[in-house]
Amino acid sequence: MATEMKNLGSKFTLLFAAVFIFFPLYAATEYSLRNGAEKTHDLTAYRWILDQSGFAENLAITARITAVAVVINLLIMVPTVTWLHLSGQRYKRFVEILTIMPLIIPVVALATGAQIAFPSILKNSIYQLSFMYVVIAMPYTYRALDIGLSSHPLATLTQAARSLGATWIRVLTQVIVPTIKPSIYAALFLMVALSLGEYTLAQLLHWSTFPVWVTNVSQQNITGATALSVGSIFFAWVLLFGFTFFGGKNSKTVKEEA
Amino acid sequence: MKTNSLIVSGLTRRFGAVVALDDFNLNVAKGELVALLGPSGCGKTTALRIIAGLEKSNTGSVVLNNKDITNDHAHQRNMGMVFQAYSLFPHLSVAENVAFGLKMRKVSKSIREKKIDSILELVGLDHHHKRFAHQLSGGQQQRVALARALVIEPEVLLLDEPLSALDAQVRTNLREEIRRLQLELGTTTLFVTHDQEEAMSISDRVGVMNKGKLEQIDTPDVLYNNPASSFVASFVGNMNKIPTQITDGMVEIFGSNVIALKRGNESGKVHALIRPESIAVIASSGQSHAKVLTRSFMGASSNIVCQTPDGTIVQSLMTSAATGDLHPGSQVQLQVLSKEVLVTNA
Repeated sequence: MATEMKNLGSKFTLLFAAVFIFFPLYAATEYSLRNGAEKTHDLTAYRWILDQSGFAENLAITARITAVAVVINLLIMVPTVTWLHLSGQRYKRFVEILTIMPLIIPVVALATGAQIAFPSILKNSIYQLSFMYVVIAMPYTYRALDIGLSSHPLATLTQAARSLGATWIRVLTQVIVPTIKPSIYAALFLMVALSLGEYTLAQLLHWSTFPVWVTNVSQQNITGATALSVGSIFFAWVLLFGFTFFGGKNSKTVKEEA
Repeated sequence: MKTNSLIVSGLTRRFGAVVALDDFNLNVAKGELVALLGPSGCGKTTALRIIAGLEKSNTGSVVLNNKDITNDHAHQRNMGMVFQAYSLFPHLSVAENVAFGLKMRKVSKSIREKKIDSILELVGLDHHHKRFAHQLSGGQQQRVALARALVIEPEVLLLDEPLSALDAQVRTNLREEIRRLQLELGTTTLFVTHDQEEAMSISDRVGVMNKGKLEQIDTPDVLYNNPASSFVASFVGNMNKIPTQITDGMVEIFGSNVIALKRGNESGKVHALIRPESIAVIASSGQSHAKVLTRSFMGASSNIVCQTPDGTIVQSLMTSAATGDLHPGSQVQLQVLSKEVLVTNA
């Protein structure tokens, strides 16, 4: 009886969550497909987006910023979190607190502070955003990697590789990275999602990126703006599934050929 | 006289105020299997890790085949290692795991494949090349780990409690297999364990460690029959501790006088250390020393547990044929079969 009640409870929660998430999404999708003049449903609003000047340019800029951010993220975060797990245990608490800082420090403070602190080569480069995005994404990317590293006996795997003749670089590239690949993909996805949606920093520092462009454009056409949001959400989903599929498929092929 | 392959001298390792390893010396001859035996925290694993290069010692040196490797990194030492925890790389198949060390040594693909085939056959996993760690049992995983460590033809094979995570049956089989492989390949091997049966059954020599020191290192027979200290005596095999008193170098046990073998300056009240097989239990209708508590039949031999009036528990191991008339509650006489017994301060 109690379990039945519990089952019913969890079913209700699930249903509530589904309605809460999918109903607005459904409504937004429906609205974005409306053609006001003809009173029918078609892709007018989506076509309108592509017709706006700057779509491709801004998307390309954001893609480049994102790519740089992803590379920096991988080069800095993976070795750091690995080191924290292997021999930097006593600094782990400190770094954990440090990674939460971007959630506490207002973005405005980061923008002005970083602007002063950047070396001159970055001061006038749009790629300064990549560095800031790595910082903003740290609370999420750190945790994604941390979970991946915690779920394997990393110390033993490392020692086994060392005793088999692997240098530290090889331990990292041939043992640790392949072992925690799913977590790296998760961290990458978070990094990309954040980079694609970040508006405040870019706007504050007067850089024209895709989210900034979207905001400006959407002020002219409400249906088009809705179409943009719906499109972004679906694009993020495609990315998410892509990463999952890519990661999953990769390990499967290894299994088959081995 | 065999040549020494591994010479470890004066290793000391301190963790803060704790001395994990205290002036540790060890020579392992070529092709020999030496076990380091001791309770947890005795320093045996620390010794192994320093030899493997995974940890640094404060003082001392490690010499491998006449080459001082004290300051070499782990990956520069040609040693194979098997760990207590399962350590197969989860993203690689069995064959790829075994290939790892060969790839690090830039062995060509054709030779690599030959070596992998023959070593996997040797550990009895010749049809498991394509499996992954999660598709193998614990015993199979340790066999692959063993193959992976052996395929690089290490100068020394280091085994860090490789059987501790396995079931009893698998553990016994695998330890025999480790010995067979070790003899077949002639690999110099250092085996760390806390299980005295494991150490005694497959080793050429066993080093018993306690509190960071090597108390005694010798063949299993000598350790068992002629332990250098009471710690070794009670850690290796079962040992009865019978309270008695030394007078003129003799102790009286169960009414008879026996020579006391001292390891230090034992005097006055002492414990006599006697192996179960050195005590005979005889059913008695008249005068008795003890009462039988249990008799465990184990086939050819039986284990008799008795209790003396002062509460001392005495264990005896006898051939089953001689114990037919012993039952729980029987009044019995006890007899020491050896002429000398080791004594330790009470």
